[in-house]
Amino acid sequence: MQELLERIAARSSGWIELRFQGRSTKQIAVRNGELEESSSKRIQGIGVRALVDGVFGFASTTDLTEQGILRTVEAAQGAARTSASAKKQRIKGLAAASFGVGTFPVATDDPLDAHPLEEKLALVMRIDERVRRGSSSIVSSSASYAEIQDEKIIVTSDGARTHLFVSIPEFRVMAVAQKNGDQCFGNKSNSVAGGWSDLLELLPPEEMADYAVRMAVEQLTAPHPPGGLATVVLDPGLVGVLSHEAIGHTVEADIVLGGAITADKMNEKVASELITMIDSGGSEHLPHATGTLAVDDEGVVTRKTTLIENGVLRSYLHNRETAAHFGVEPTGNARAFEYSDAPIIRMRNTYIEPGDTSIEDLIAGVDDGYYMCGLGFGGQADSNAEFMFGVREARRIQNGKVGELVRGATLTGNAFDVLHSVDAVGSDFRWDLGAGTCGKSQAAKVDAGGPHLRCKAMIGGRQ
Amino acid sequence: MNNETQLRERCREALELTKRHGADEVEIFAQMSHAISADIEKHDLQTSSSQEETMIGIRALVNQQVGFACTNVLDELETTCADAVNLAKASPKDENNVLSEPVPFESLPDLYDPKAESFSVSDAVQQMILMIETADSIDSRLILGGGTFAVNLQTRCIVNTRGIDLAENSSLFTYYALATAKDGAKVSNMAFHFDASHSVDGIDVVPVATRACQDALGSLGAVQGESFVGPVILSPSAVQAVLVNLFAFQLNAKNALRGSSRWGKALGETIAHPSLTVIDNGRMPGGVATESFDREGMPHCELTLIDSGVAAALMHNAYTAVAMNVANTSHSSGSARSTPGISPTNLSIRPGEASKDELIGDIKQGLLVNRFSGSSNPVSGDFSGVAKAAYLIKDGKLDRPVSGTLIAGNVFEALQNLSGMSSETERVFAATLPYLRLEGVSVTAE
Repeated sequence: MQELLERIAARSSGWIELRFQGRSTKQIAVRNGELEESSSKRIQGIGVRALVDGVFGFASTTDLTEQGILRTVEAAQGAARTSASAKKQRIKGLAAASFGVGTFPVATDDPLDAHPLEEKLALVMRIDERVRRGSSSIVSSSASYAEIQDEKIIVTSDGARTHLFVSIPEFRVMAVAQKNGDQCFGNKSNSVAGGWSDLLELLPPEEMADYAVRMAVEQLTAPHPPGGLATVVLDPGLVGVLSHEAIGHTVEADIVLGGAITADKMNEKVASELITMIDSGGSEHLPHATGTLAVDDEGVVTRKTTLIENGVLRSYLHNRETAAHFGVEPTGNARAFEYSDAPIIRMRNTYIEPGDTSIEDLIAGVDDGYYMCGLGFGGQADSNAEFMFGVREARRIQNGKVGELVRGATLTGNAFDVLHSVDAVGSDFRWDLGAGTCGKSQAAKVDAGGPHLRCKAMIGGRQ
Repeated sequence: MNNETQLRERCREALELTKRHGADEVEIFAQMSHAISADIEKHDLQTSSSQEETMIGIRALVNQQVGFACTNVLDELETTCADAVNLAKASPKDENNVLSEPVPFESLPDLYDPKAESFSVSDAVQQMILMIETADSIDSRLILGGGTFAVNLQTRCIVNTRGIDLAENSSLFTYYALATAKDGAKVSNMAFHFDASHSVDGIDVVPVATRACQDALGSLGAVQGESFVGPVILSPSAVQAVLVNLFAFQLNAKNALRGSSRWGKALGETIAHPSLTVIDNGRMPGGVATESFDREGMPHCELTLIDSGVAAALMHNAYTAVAMNVANTSHSSGSARSTPGISPTNLSIRPGEASKDELIGDIKQGLLVNRFSGSSNPVSGDFSGVAKAAYLIKDGKLDRPVSGTLIAGNVFEALQNLSGMSSETERVFAATLPYLRLEGVSVTAE
């Protein structure tokens, strides 16, 4: 296939990118002891992007013959030509890039295919049962396992020659508890870039099950918090969500060009000097972060990109188009979820660097506030960095001690205001974006995390 | 050979192959699609694209054990058929795993417009240009930050060993605009409007762009709001965000079976104010989700889910209908990439008699929420989030646009405290919804 794509790219007039993707997925879901899904999916196809008169066109096909691919190249070029007459801002060129030439295998000693379906099904059944038996208040349980395995070949007419393999397994658990007609749910999910044992060892599903049960049951008797500004200690899960969702999207260069709040803030102070934020194709501090990727979907080697350095905005996230626009090197952030998606700017693993304060000291410094852990139900952020996240677990902190759970808490505010208010950064680190799927017109598997942080934020509650 | 015939033959071939590999019962669901899209970003055209794919999904039953596999690699169809059988053999038996039986019905007219076949990428781009020109003609402070015009021509086919053998062509044009207004340092909230058509002649992007632009302009200069507990009017878009997912979850028979739906145990009981009636109709003329048959080949129908405040019916597919020993309501949903689920189709809330202005007219202090950015938990009913493009209501009038205002409450309680719904309705994706007035909502100004 790579030879065929190289031959077509060499003959093409103008710049083109040819991206073959073969994807196999498996999914097993069990609810209340009954199998809800046991499925497999096999898809393959080619996505073609063409640059004509400063405009991209995109087309995709499942016809992998030479004639089929050539027809798709013509369709992509035709789409570009159609838009060219009316487009105001033309692409002036694509930035030179360090291409990932060669084969990039999955980094694991324990490939997913070495484990039969029966083993995976048995684990899911066992964890579902553990949830059901976790408490007499549990009225519904579920556990599920899913895996994605990709093979990609990326060839461009200006030199990309990438053969890339990706393997991402994930596990999810949910519990619903009931008391006096009131129902609450608890959940936990995890994914990794790697193999079977990488998934199970980093966060054992038994721990996930016990946590989901505890959250569902405790919330039944928890009060709602009052709304208002509060001092909060955020766990690595919420630090990751804040970094990815509320800050990360505002530094994606396409969003910046669309008028994000960061558009005129380069080299300005945007956060407390305690904050250094990174987006990386690597998995620093701890292995197997879900967004780990050697090469992006433009065939560009991914880089560790420092977004915020000691509180100062230092970089946006780029593809080749925006890197040329801003006169910088591409950061390897162009990603496409399936062959039928055109690559767009996406994050990989986004995190805040650890500091030097222990978790105990972070909490001890709060007279009256909240300890908030993980993304709960719902979360949204705008390009002006205003965000709203449901919180999975929120507990009162009073006189430096973590106390009662509160229910239905949300965290809102402007992410940069929140980062300005950080007065202490924990010395710990954890990847913790759960099953780690980001949506931006198409899906992407990503991760995020960091240490614990102490800051101020608005709590959405009841008057 | 036309698409319908071609796809039907592929499905029949897959059915025979799956039987040959050891399945007792087989369902093949396939979709052949040709899609076009053109996008706006930053008030300018972006990448336009075309896509074609045929996806075949195979559900195999072996001794009431079920397995599902799908592929778009038609050269490997037999491997996928064998995969489905092998997955079934490794699964536990469940006596509720059944396939639908054929039911006579009439196919719906007007789902497919032959003129859509000649609709090109260039035509889609022209629609996007029209959206930008519409914004430019309204006010120079407007920016269409995003927008999409998408065309989907699709052939769906379902064949099963019970005798269902159906195929249908459809064309659907969907389009939306995201508008922001900028005046110096003042930036409005982002405003969103959407519409759709099954026919080329029904396409009209101008009202969509116009509404989004008007809403964006209206929220320019928003100031701090007020904190109170009181009436809140949700726009159709906000109703969709706060209520529709909860309706879909609570009225899903699978969730009732799982014990995670409180309404699943409350059929015949009053769950909301008597003014609330919720209907789902998969055969609604012009509906975004209108199709002749569901994911398992059953004809869609109209179903009253909540009748004057009383929980009237749950949505079923073949599995839940057998498990609960009731009639299938034809709410099997999903694509050829997934096993059948349960979802509403074209869900609507019956409008009231008062106009939106009349709903506002007798409020002393309240909030109008045009867009809700937050979470609404379908299990507990708790909702909390930011009121976007919101207006403070004072003495029966819109007083001023406000920003940074949070609303929170519980949907189950709020539905008991409904105090009005408008006669005006709007289409929000597949739902048709009025403005709703809820009492006792917690409003917090930052």
